[in-house]
Amino acid sequence: MHEFSVSSEIVKNVLDATQKNKGGKVLSIQLEIGELTFLNVEQVTFWIIELFKGSVAEGAEVKIKTINARIHCKVCGYKGGIRSGQKNSLRHLALCSCPKCNSFQFKTERGQECVLRRIKAVK
Amino acid sequence: MKIIKSKRSEIFDIELNKDLLARNRRLAKENRKRFDHSNILAIDIMGSIGSGKTSLIKSILKRLGLGKKVAVIAGDLTTTIDAERIEKEGARVIQVNTGKECHLDANLIRQAIERMKLGGVKVLFVENVGNLICPGEFPLGAHKRVVVISVTEGAYTLIKHPYIFREADVIVLNKIDLAKAMKVNSFQLEKDAKKINPNVPFIKTNALSGMGVSKIINVLGLRT
Ligand SMILES: Nc1nc2c(ncn2[C@@H]2O[C@H](COP(=O)(O)OP(=O)(O)OP(=O)(O)O)[C@@H](O)[C@H]2O)c(=O)[nH]1
Ligand SMILES: [Mg+2]
Ligand SMILES: [Zn+2]
Repeated sequence: MHEFSVSSEIVKNVLDATQKNKGGKVLSIQLEIGELTFLNVEQVTFWIIELFKGSVAEGAEVKIKTINARIHCKVCGYKGGIRSGQKNSLRHLALCSCPKCNSFQFKTERGQECVLRRIKAVK
Repeated sequence: MKIIKSKRSEIFDIELNKDLLARNRRLAKENRKRFDHSNILAIDIMGSIGSGKTSLIKSILKRLGLGKKVAVIAGDLTTTIDAERIEKEGARVIQVNTGKECHLDANLIRQAIERMKLGGVKVLFVENVGNLICPGEFPLGAHKRVVVISVTEGAYTLIKHPYIFREADVIVLNKIDLAKAMKVNSFQLEKDAKKINPNVPFIKTNALSGMGVSKIINVLGLRT
């Protein structure tokens, strides 16, 4: 839902970090996005590529890895992933409940991140 | 023969390992500390567009009669309409425009509380941008999160958007006066709420007449 704002922040971070380091041209960036975020990977990719245009990162490759969720159910004690299905889609997330007992009462141990891992650049 | 030196040495990696969503959660914790330090109870009012968030805040303020001891941060994309409506109830109001943004974030709240004089304030309401999806992912640091929906959004609001209700401390079903006309069964919505968040208080209100509003005041611990 907020792909545009998150993408803008990623782009800002990439350009700042590149400038602070040796400068040059950005070849690729690596991101990791949790399965339980409301971020659609395709939309994020689209916006980053768009926002890179006209900067030193124009044309850089955007690599995004999905981080699988890990939940801890407060009702039945289940620990593990959620139902596999459509990864990273809102529908999938909306239906997200404990795969064992269907409860919505769980703690999220992993899957809520949006990490800018590294940037590859060339002088 | 000429040896072409590999240009690979000119390629370099910048390790960042920066979690952009974690940053908001960190700022939210800092906001919470500030509220605690100043003895302010902060309440985030989230909910669908037009469900009655501003009307409910107005109705709560009327009943509390705390004047300038209450502050309200009114989040809106571009206008000041809600801020002006709330100001009439005598509270301190600050407007935060999010521009293109679909939600408030902890950083916007941090900036607002820096701009605002919070001396003497006991309760802070934050009216979030009308949206049932994004605000759930961006905690602001409030002590309580209220989600306001109304019968005019139909019968499936809760099961379509369980995520935000999972995070709620109070769920309000507003415009209960219109339930019949909308052919919405409020008991079914209550059942859906209990399924998603079994212990959450589910309060039916009519923000215009004030029905149910004192229940919200009670569960939020606003009675002094
Ligand atoms: N019938 C009826 N109308 C209501 C009730 N509560 C609010 N309204 C009306 O619903 C409309 C929207 O109310 P607001 O309080 O502005 O809703 P909001 O959630 O703040 O709206 P946004 O901030 O624009 O998302 C107004 O015309 C209100 O008069 C209610 O309980 N019953
Ligand atoms: Mg409003
Ligand atoms: Zn379970």
